[in-house]
Amino acid sequence: MKHTLFISDLHLCHTRPAVNTLFERFLSDIAPQAEALYILGDFFEYWAGDDDLIEPLHTSIAQQLSRLAASGTRLYLMHGNRDFLIGEAFQRAAHITLLPDPTLIDLYGQPTLLMHGDTLCSDDVEYQTFRSQVRDPSWQQSFLATPLSARKAQIEALRQRSEQEKSSKTAEIMDTNPDTVAATLRAYHYPRLIHGHTHRPTRHMHTVDGKTCERWVLTDWYNSGGYLRCDAVGCVAHGLEIFNS
Amino acid sequence: MVKLKTNHGDILLELDAAKAPLTVENFLQYVRDGFFNDTLFHRVIDGFMVQGGGMNLDMSQKATRAPVKNEADNGLKNDAYTIAMARTSDPHSATAQFFINVGNNDFLNHSAPTPNGWGYCVFGKVTEGQDVVDKIRKVRTGNKAGHQDVPVENVVIESAEIL
Repeated sequence: MKHTLFISDLHLCHTRPAVNTLFERFLSDIAPQAEALYILGDFFEYWAGDDDLIEPLHTSIAQQLSRLAASGTRLYLMHGNRDFLIGEAFQRAAHITLLPDPTLIDLYGQPTLLMHGDTLCSDDVEYQTFRSQVRDPSWQQSFLATPLSARKAQIEALRQRSEQEKSSKTAEIMDTNPDTVAATLRAYHYPRLIHGHTHRPTRHMHTVDGKTCERWVLTDWYNSGGYLRCDAVGCVAHGLEIFNS
Repeated sequence: MVKLKTNHGDILLELDAAKAPLTVENFLQYVRDGFFNDTLFHRVIDGFMVQGGGMNLDMSQKATRAPVKNEADNGLKNDAYTIAMARTSDPHSATAQFFINVGNNDFLNHSAPTPNGWGYCVFGKVTEGQDVVDKIRKVRTGNKAGHQDVPVENVVIESAEIL
């Protein structure tokens, strides 16, 4: 049956080879059956700029995606809070199309809003401030003008701080804000919503202005990973079969 | 203690019944039933794990008993040379197949009682015969009977016995 797959928050990095292998298997065994694959952000643990395509992992991923596209699966990508500097060169190399966040699509007749999910966490004021800075085109331009090694060092420092801060932030701040979710659903005329970012995979039902909306949160790949499979009947979340037993 | 006699040598397993009571009892019952005799280590991935205990020598799958509850929240980690239960993506689907970690596989550890966070239950470790595991992890593998990473020459569990 015709279907579309959604993944996010893989945080692919050369330091976690097991997950890279899992993703390779996903690309060769599961993804080719889908007519489209959407990667909704934080695909890479970090992205210093498209000139970092030369890193072996990045080249390999781009090649594998390009092979998948060649076999007939349409590929789409959204920026996350880690990999928002993915640009034209990566898109060309991977045969993947970058989508704005949010993007509304028609998914087998059901209007579906796709987001990374970080903008829904409006209680995380510190992050939202950081986000408006780094999504500013002139900031990005001057950042990308610095040498790659300097950019990577800065990113690494940021990552360390982010790990420390995560442990002090309360659970409420890091989840989506219900009012922000409701406002978003209202603004887009009550679609189904699919996003990642919070690493709390589940299916929520929201009632907004009397209308019921489905919200799917995608799983991260820090454990054994997974994907959301949608077809004309609906969406089902799948874990990855690591042992096929 | 359980001894696996393989065609590469013996592997001695120390099982942790205190930390994984249901899993250990389930495993020991298969041993008592002679279930693991003449089964294969049918899936070998160097640096990751070696998996077996469920396929006949001709790669046909053996019928098992009912699944055992996942006890991965026991604090034991999927470190190198520990033994853990294989399963499908359903957290509580483990039956007979097991795997021996040949790396520190953190991503397999329990992180939350959710479908994606349950992890894989470690129930013991290799106390003697790590060198045998090291031989097995290095065998040449390929595709066979629709499966990947199958040893080209059979790695056989000739017998399993409780010591």
